[in-house]
Order: sequence, then structure tokens, then C-alpha cells
Amino acid sequence: MSARRFDLAIAVLIGATVIALPFATQNDFFLNLALLVMIWSIFALGFDLVFGSIGMVSFGHASFLGMGGYIVAIFTQRYGWSFEASTMAAMAAASLLAWIFSFFALRVSGIFFSLVTLALSQLLYILADSKLRELTGGADGIAGVTRPQLFGVDFFTTQAFYWYVVVLFTIVVACVAMLRASPFGRVMQGVAQNEIRTEQLGYDVHGIKQITFLVSGGISGLASALLASLLMFVNPQMLHWTTSGDVIIMTLLGGAGTLWGPVGGVILFELLKEWLSGQTQYWYGVLGVVFILATIYFPKGFLGEARRLATRAQRRKP
Amino acid sequence: MSMIIIGLSLGMLLFLLASGLTLIFGMLGVINFAHGALYMLGAYVAFDISRRTGSFTLGLVVATLVTAATGFAMERLALRPLYARPHFYQLILTFGFILVITEAVKFTWGLGYKETPMPDALAGTIVLFGSTIPVYRLFVIIFGAVVSIALFLALERSTFGMKVRAASSDAEMVQILGLRAASIRNAVFGLGAGLAGLAGAIAAPLFPIELGMATTVIIDCFIVVILGGLGNIRGVVAAAILIGMVRAVGYTFAPSWVDVLTFSLLIATLMTRPQGLFSRPVRSA
Repeated sequence: MSARRFDLAIAVLIGATVIALPFATQNDFFLNLALLVMIWSIFALGFDLVFGSIGMVSFGHASFLGMGGYIVAIFTQRYGWSFEASTMAAMAAASLLAWIFSFFALRVSGIFFSLVTLALSQLLYILADSKLRELTGGADGIAGVTRPQLFGVDFFTTQAFYWYVVVLFTIVVACVAMLRASPFGRVMQGVAQNEIRTEQLGYDVHGIKQITFLVSGGISGLASALLASLLMFVNPQMLHWTTSGDVIIMTLLGGAGTLWGPVGGVILFELLKEWLSGQTQYWYGVLGVVFILATIYFPKGFLGEARRLATRAQRRKP
Repeated sequence: MSMIIIGLSLGMLLFLLASGLTLIFGMLGVINFAHGALYMLGAYVAFDISRRTGSFTLGLVVATLVTAATGFAMERLALRPLYARPHFYQLILTFGFILVITEAVKFTWGLGYKETPMPDALAGTIVLFGSTIPVYRLFVIIFGAVVSIALFLALERSTFGMKVRAASSDAEMVQILGLRAASIRNAVFGLGAGLAGLAGAIAAPLFPIELGMATTVIIDCFIVVILGGLGNIRGVVAAAILIGMVRAVGYTFAPSWVDVLTFSLLIATLMTRPQGLFSRPVRSA
């Protein structure tokens, strides 16, 4: 099986599950889980543009998730904006924030890049948690974020909201797939593999990184608007640096740098979390062990590994 | 006067906390995200032992040994297979250890805040230059100074330090000379982890102990280590005292902006001098 056919098979599998789920069950629990998976997948796909495609470990992506969430919460709650307009504003704000982050963080490289993004995002966390209490509601956050209402259709019920997210999830996956396959995507891979060589081929590596960061921030902003709407509230925990750690875990579990890796990672993460938290209250620790073992033995993630095996089996054939 | 003492004692605590992190980075090139978790583990062990036995000293020793052993295990079982891979795998792997250590601590000691009693010999206050100073603050300052001198001597003047420095600059050559680079790495990681536990144990009587320590304290640690220059022990001493003083002055005059101030200082440093404020170019990592 070629890599492309493997990706297609996964796409069909995930697509079929997503479409069949609301018909197979009327249980909101499963729909909520699927919603969480799709929304975090959007976030992980955006994150992986920076992490997997270009090879920069951002520990600041929680900021973009939190930023978008707060924008949606504040605009819909305080100023009566519609959900769609607020989502646009959230994406724009998260992109802008990402651009500002990249302005600071891209001046250094490697581990220092991770640390600058971490420091910037933690600064934002402190601001939201204690300094801008009138605006953000402090540690309590803001409750009562609305559900979308588009073309007169109310997406308030879980069923309706599900289809709304399915459409956006599909669009994001398609956009990321096209971006990765585009000439720009190839150059991104070039940067990840050898920055200096790419620079010497005449590409503006700094600019490419900055654009990638901006796009990644925008996608994260979309995820954050949907997450705020699903949970119907935002709080500073979204901005905390451990949230950035969570998205790294998810992406690496599934496989960084592939289209379906981040999505697979989110599915595995959420399913493990759902199952483990029923077994033990110490589920986060068990998840940590799984993550450590996966980092050591499956650095390409479980989908990345499956893809490699599938591709290798094909090569062996004469 | 009391502001200076508080600043110095905070600085020395920060130094104890950050020295292990910088040691591990300087010698192994690994950023140990779990350093804060090891600090927390040290604080909990010290709390538990001193409550059971009534001996603070014993708590200090056991906390150091337990965290050092944890460090040995971490390096031997998880980090060793990763040295050949890109650096970020080590960074991310140690993030996994935060989750594991935090949950292990939660499993053992539960969720509530813990208060460690002040050791009798160090409780109380003395009057120095006309102001009242808690004895424990003085103890922290003296202890930190002793540890920093000991660490400096161990790394710069002893044969062990020579081997460690050799192994960090050319592991292959060290191997050929018949020294075991892998064991040296293991020892360094254990030592760094032990220092984190020691810092936790020293800090235990001063602050309430809780699970969130692991993720908040690591940020302080990074601030000090980056300002000092990653891997530079002398720089860390200077940066720790600087930050301690900034905090002490900040708490007195603008208490709600202390964190924002330190973060701005950190970001400004990272952008202008990522090698650190106190680092000479040769030793920069």
C-alpha cells in the first residue's frame, strides 16, 4: 500500500465514522466525545503545521487556544456579536498573536524557541488569570458562551452543533492537506529537514516560518471558538502551558508531520482519557507512562508507524 | 535590611532549584522539564519524613536521595535511548515525567496542602543590624552559599568534575580513554535531580506544599537559568540573586506586578542575549 493510499484509507475510515455516528447512537455522550475529538483535532492539525511540518517545538500554542476562546466569550457575551463574527475575530486575533509570538520567538532557535514561546504564553496566562480580571473573569473564567446560529438555523442541540463542527473539521482537514501538498508545503518540509540548505536554495526561511506560525495560529483560533462553544465557557486553564503540553502529547502519540497523525493522536488521547478516567483517578499519570513509552519506542506515533509498515510491505513486493 | 535578607534567601532558594537544571543542561544538553516535579517530590518527601521522625535533617537527606534515585532511573530507562535523536524528544519526554511524578505524589500524599513544621533549631528570629530576621532565612542563605561553593569546587577542581566536563565536550574521546561516558551522564543526571529534591526539602518549611508546584516552579527555574546562561553555574548564582532581589523589592513596592516584571525581563533577555546575561561567549550553550 502506498503512503497516499494509506492516508486515503484512514480518511475514509474517519469520514465514515464521523457520518455514521449520529445515526448509530442518540446518546449525547458519544457525540460530545466526537465533538471534543474533532475540535482538538483542528487544534492539533494547526499545531502540527509548526511542530511536524517545520520542526519547531512551540510550547505556546495554549495562548492561541485561550486567546480565541476569550475573544469569542467576550464578544458574544458583552457586545452581542454573533458567533460567526466572533469566530472570525477569534481567528484574526489568534493569527495576530501568533505573528507577534513569531516576531519574538523566531529570533532564537532550537530549545530557546520553545522557551520563548513558553514564557510568552505564561505571561498571557498570568495576565488573564490575575491582571485583567475585569475583562477575563479571573480564575472563574467566563460562562455562557453561545452556540452558533447561521442562516437562521440554531445549532444549540448537540446533534445540530455536531454537523456544524463536522463541516468545519472537513474544511480544515482539506485545507491542511492542500497546504501540505502544495509547493509551500514542500518548502516547509525542506526547512524541517535542513534549514541552511533551504535558505541557500533561495527561500526566505524566516518568512516561511512566520507565515506558518500565522496560519497555525488562525487554525488554533477556529478550534478555540468551537471549544468555547462546546464547553460553553472559557477559563485560564486553556491558556496554561500544560495545555500546550497536551497538544504536543496528542500530536506525537498519533504521529507528527503527517496529515492524519495529529487526528489519530487526539482520538487515542481522548479514548484513553475516557477509559482510564473510569478506571482510576490517576489516569493522567497512566497516560504519562503511555506517552513516555510511545516517545521512546514509537517516535513516529502509532499512525506514523502503521503508515511506515504499510508502505514497507508494498516495497517488498516485486 | 529585612528586604535584603528576604531577597538573598529567595535568591539562594532559586539558585538551589536552578543549579540542578543548569548542571544537567550544561553537561548533557538536556532540558529537564520534570525538574519542577522533582522539586515537588523532594518537598513532599521532606514533609513526610520530618513529620514521622521529627528530624528535619533526616527529611533533607532522604528527600535528596529519593529524587536522586528517581533521576538515575529516568536517565537510565528513558533518556538514554534518546540521545541520538533530535533534542526536542528529550524535552518532550521529560514533560511526560511531570505527569507521572505528579500523579505518583497525588497517589501517595493526596490532594490537600501540606505544612512542614519549622525545625526547632532554626525557628524563631534574631535581631541583626537593628531589624528582626527569621533564623530560617539566614540558614537558607548560608546553606545555598555552601552548596554553590561545593558545586563549583566539585565541577572545576575535582577529578570527577574533570571527567564530567570531558564527557560533555567529547564523549567519544572519553570512552576511548577508558572512562564510561554513559555512567558519567547517569551520575550527572542523578546529581541534578538530587539538587532539585534538596531545594524542595529546603523550601518545604517556608511555603505550603501542593501539586501545582511542579508546573509553576519550573518557570521560575527557567527564568533563572536563562538569565544566568544555560549550563553556567556561576551565571545561575548571579541570576538567582538578581531575581531574588527584584522579587523582594517588587513585593515591597508593586506586589501585583512582580510576575509580569520578571517575565518581561526574561523575554527581553532571550531576545537580546539568548546566551544569558552573565555568560561569556565561550561557555554559552
